[in-house]
Amino acid sequence: MGRTTRPSLATTSTSTPPTSYSKGSLSSARSSLINVLSRPRLPLTSLSTATALAQSDGQLTPEDDYSTASSYASSVSSSGGSFSGNSKEDNAEEIAKAYRNYLEKPFVNTKSGIKHSEFGHCNNPNWRWTSQWNTDEPIHPEEDLAPPLYILVSTYFSYLIFIILGHMRDFFGKHFAVSRYAHLLPTKDYAALYSDFDSFYVRRLKKRIDDCFSRPVTQVPGRTINLLDRESSDQNEHFELTGTQTRALNVSSYNYLGFASSTGGCADAVESSIRRYGVASGGPRHDANTLDLHQQCEKLVAKFCGAESSMVFSMGFATNSTNIPALVGKGCLVISDELNHASIRFGVRLSGASVRMFKHNDMGALEQLLREVISQGQPRTHRPWKKILVIVEGLYSMEGSLLNLPVLIDLKRRYKFYVYVDEAHSIGAIGPNGRGVCDYFGIDPREIDVLMGTFTKSFGAAGGYVAGTKELIDRLRVRSHAYTYADAVSPAILTQVISSMGSIMGVAPPLAPVKEDDDAMSVMSRPISYGPALASQLPPWLNLPATLLNGTEGRERLRRLAFNSRYLSSGLRKLGFLMYGHRDSPIIPLLIFNPGKMPYFSQMMLKRIGPDLTPIVVVVVAYPATPLITSRVRFCLSASHTKNDIDLILRAADEVGDVLDLKLGEQTMSVEEVIASAEELVAAAF
Amino acid sequence: MAAAAAPSSSGQDIPAPLVPILAILASAYRSFASALTRIPGSPIVIRYIESSYQNDPWRSILEVLLVAFAVRTLLKGRTRGDASSKNWVKLREEEIDELVDEWVPQPLVDEPSDVDKFTLASVPVINGPNGLRVKLASSGKMVTNLATVDWTGMIESDKMKQVAIDTLKLYGVGSCGPSGFYGTIDVHTKFEEEVSSFLGTESAIIYSQAYATISSAIPSFAKRGDIIVADKGVNFAIHKGLEISRSTIKWYAHNDMKDLERVLQNVEKEQKRKGGRLTRRFIISEGVFENDGMMVDLPKVMELKRKYKYRLILDESYSFGMIGAHGRGVTEYYSIPAAEVDILIGSMGNGLGAGGGFCAGSYHVCKHQKINSSASVFSAALPAMLATTASSALATIQTQPALFTSLQANILLFRQILSKIEPIPMSDTPATSATGLTASAATPLTGSSPSKTPNKDAIIHIPSHPSSALIHIFLLNAPGTMEEEERILQDVVDELLAKSDVIVTRARRLRGQEAFEPEPSLKVCLSGALSRKETEKAAKGLKEALIKVCGKKR
Repeated sequence: MGRTTRPSLATTSTSTPPTSYSKGSLSSARSSLINVLSRPRLPLTSLSTATALAQSDGQLTPEDDYSTASSYASSVSSSGGSFSGNSKEDNAEEIAKAYRNYLEKPFVNTKSGIKHSEFGHCNNPNWRWTSQWNTDEPIHPEEDLAPPLYILVSTYFSYLIFIILGHMRDFFGKHFAVSRYAHLLPTKDYAALYSDFDSFYVRRLKKRIDDCFSRPVTQVPGRTINLLDRESSDQNEHFELTGTQTRALNVSSYNYLGFASSTGGCADAVESSIRRYGVASGGPRHDANTLDLHQQCEKLVAKFCGAESSMVFSMGFATNSTNIPALVGKGCLVISDELNHASIRFGVRLSGASVRMFKHNDMGALEQLLREVISQGQPRTHRPWKKILVIVEGLYSMEGSLLNLPVLIDLKRRYKFYVYVDEAHSIGAIGPNGRGVCDYFGIDPREIDVLMGTFTKSFGAAGGYVAGTKELIDRLRVRSHAYTYADAVSPAILTQVISSMGSIMGVAPPLAPVKEDDDAMSVMSRPISYGPALASQLPPWLNLPATLLNGTEGRERLRRLAFNSRYLSSGLRKLGFLMYGHRDSPIIPLLIFNPGKMPYFSQMMLKRIGPDLTPIVVVVVAYPATPLITSRVRFCLSASHTKNDIDLILRAADEVGDVLDLKLGEQTMSVEEVIASAEELVAAAF
Repeated sequence: MAAAAAPSSSGQDIPAPLVPILAILASAYRSFASALTRIPGSPIVIRYIESSYQNDPWRSILEVLLVAFAVRTLLKGRTRGDASSKNWVKLREEEIDELVDEWVPQPLVDEPSDVDKFTLASVPVINGPNGLRVKLASSGKMVTNLATVDWTGMIESDKMKQVAIDTLKLYGVGSCGPSGFYGTIDVHTKFEEEVSSFLGTESAIIYSQAYATISSAIPSFAKRGDIIVADKGVNFAIHKGLEISRSTIKWYAHNDMKDLERVLQNVEKEQKRKGGRLTRRFIISEGVFENDGMMVDLPKVMELKRKYKYRLILDESYSFGMIGAHGRGVTEYYSIPAAEVDILIGSMGNGLGAGGGFCAGSYHVCKHQKINSSASVFSAALPAMLATTASSALATIQTQPALFTSLQANILLFRQILSKIEPIPMSDTPATSATGLTASAATPLTGSSPSKTPNKDAIIHIPSHPSSALIHIFLLNAPGTMEEEERILQDVVDELLAKSDVIVTRARRLRGQEAFEPEPSLKVCLSGALSRKETEKAAKGLKEALIKVCGKKR
């Protein structure tokens, strides 16, 4: 099975910094400087925890930090906003200015050409982790988190009030302001375009908090994002852009490995690709729109997934919705996790197969159901099912929960069903080699019949893929709706996929020699099927910088993402928030329950009540994307975030959590304690 | 519960054995009621309940039963519905184990059939960039590409490349999120505004794939119980959208306006007979049909739609950017304001040489889709560079109507040459001018010259509209099976490639998955960026290939 334990890893991570680290003392000073900056009103004594790391080097004192602070702030702030050592004299504006710099100027010396605002530079080798299954940690909690009763009651009560108010407004509106409700009312001979009942939730509940959704943005959705400020004068019916922009720390985009970037090796590769190929694909693959680039990309994707063959599509949603009908049909049964993505449900509905659902990630319930459906056969006729396809997701985008793959594989051996894993969120984001859940659990990817994933999330591109045996892919090529009727993938996007995927895999030759203390476990346990990409598989004109070619940067990104995910998830748990999801998941949902708290959470993260004012954009989700009661805020972490960014998020969440009464669990650490013990938290088992 | 217990104590004709039990219940009720009276306002409620249940124990029993039934229904898991059904076979665990062991599933995918192998083997691969002149991987030859949709030569445009690179340097490649969560990029909004003002609609919404646009837009409006009247010849994506919508679907014969009216009348009659509430009704058609290049008779459809009070969903994935003086599609061709079409779908891949699709319509039509159309809500937004290149292409076609005149000239030339082997040849001096955008071009080919004698050399039939750059060529004397016909067409494709260095394609179909199997055909996509000479060479080559392959088989 290739499962490994990780004692040696834990020691590397928690041991004292290696000697080479002293060379980066300047960088460590500047990293810890941020901890100082973001709490300018703290008394100096409390800095000892925040700068514990710097002190452990025995080279810097808090006072030294401050002197660095003033010199650094004046050097980066061209407008001359001097940052005096006495933080009390600083007004909010200056701090805000310093933080605009924080988002855009790197704090470490770097040769990389990538903008700090898109991909944060962070050199500390301790702030790395390997995403790998620890057999001691449960994959999925047995029981759901239960909020206190008063939260439960008040949540239902607030929905009740919203619904009553909404119906009252509808009633009076339809009678006294007919013109505004015209589209909901049947006219003389036309039924209403959409029923007021179906749209009730959207009109009466979602609209109240519409300022938190669909915020218009511009430029790269990287580590930071540029919001176009907007306001509404008619209760969120329309928004007008004010013309100003806000740069905010971005914990909302699916940019797990930080490949969303306008600079760097991948962007350069895409540029040369556009010059060569243009952007248009021309039409469906089967109609003479199959380029050499498509074939190269498909070979690379297959290699990446550890599968024989693969095919690529221009839209992630359509990958599911157009391929599931090509696999199953009448007389087949699809068993689907109850929280599967809408695209899977769309595809299953089109297929004409029967569907049964099982409780989210509950392998016991799945086994129960399997025994039932196999023994009972098809309804009414009791004929045996032609085939059973279990469709699950690797990482659930709203829950952050990881698929319990080891048990699923055991079940598969016993019950002979086929497995379709949607790795839309897990591919690239999970596993020591970034190859998704199979890699994470050390399971041979060939055990999975259909591997599906998207390029939108980890690879900073667009579209999706299906990988599997050659027979499967050949069959899909002639039966998939998308191959015959939908547009092929644009060459520019293919190049983004090839260059980002190639740099995660490393290209052989040459693969960088592995440093002794670096990632040793994961490299040793790396299955043959997860080897590097072959140079001959890449387009000959593709020029990638050495750090991408030899795989060091890709590995660095994977390890940074793993650290960030585990750090924030553990930190928020210690602060007493109720959290969903696995600690290795880069999607981190924080439960807020009451719908009324959602807009406040989002706005307070953006406007910030804390002293440093750095805006943070978060995603709040509620019914119908989640069950009614468990409204949540969802952090999507990225390798592009630095540890300081995570500290910032923790502080901001701490502030907001106190104000909104969100710490419904037991708070065992203060936020400063959490920040000071980041590495221990990440290494610890919960 | 109090209400349920209350009337029992006051019933008059109660059997004797029940009396002591009822007495206990009554006293319990009284102590409970006295507690209740302490709550402000409760006397009114109690008085109401008491008076309404006075002297009516049967009503109470009925209501208690109803409540019990409701609770039972709620507690029963929906997925476990089978267990209580008559058809359920109760099995012991060992029996289940045995059944599990015995069950042998079919393989996930069948062995590839000969047809599958033939399909896969006949997919051409292009080395290097796509466009009008491409290098084939198999032979290394440069060939003229009439298989790729490129009406106005946008694919190879250097301007588009520069726009894409400029966008890359600002926005990167991916959008990294659905439009609801920070995936609404300013360039998306910009394109939506541009395309809606270009078409003259209130609003527009973009999707990240043209195929997904219509198959998701239809079910966002049409629900169970709604009525959809659809053309039998609509494309595959529409069929899938109709399937998902679960609406009642009535088909009318392909592009037959009389049949459409007949269906509409039938629906009206049926609705009058049945009565019932007003349901949403839609007519669905395509501008230029993907399956055969025919054009919808839009004025007639508009007339019928108004007469019978239907909404029109028009898929212009192929006609947008191809038809009309500025490429606005069939609405411009027939001089009908696009705003009168309720839901209009277009493709940014076919029409604008970028990627993605859009839907144009009223403010409410588009806003509704933003939250209710699953391909819009649950999919990552379109990459920024595809939106900006589409914007740039839109600006180009607006300012350069010459692109469309040369496209029409090429179409005319191509059709004239091929009409030599059609049943009714075109006259050499056509009634329409070379720019061919006047209304007279709307009359179908067959109707334009009825006096002509049938052509004895006819081997093909082209139903495509004379202004359509998408041309489908059907064989007149088709062999018995579709498979044989596909093989003959593939021979034509191969012959044309070998002799004239021109690549066209068989219209690829998903045999076995189509709602109505379309006849096999050859698909030719003309472009305004092709020179007259190239068009002529391609048409002549195709004619010769057709004569050579199909002529001998007669």
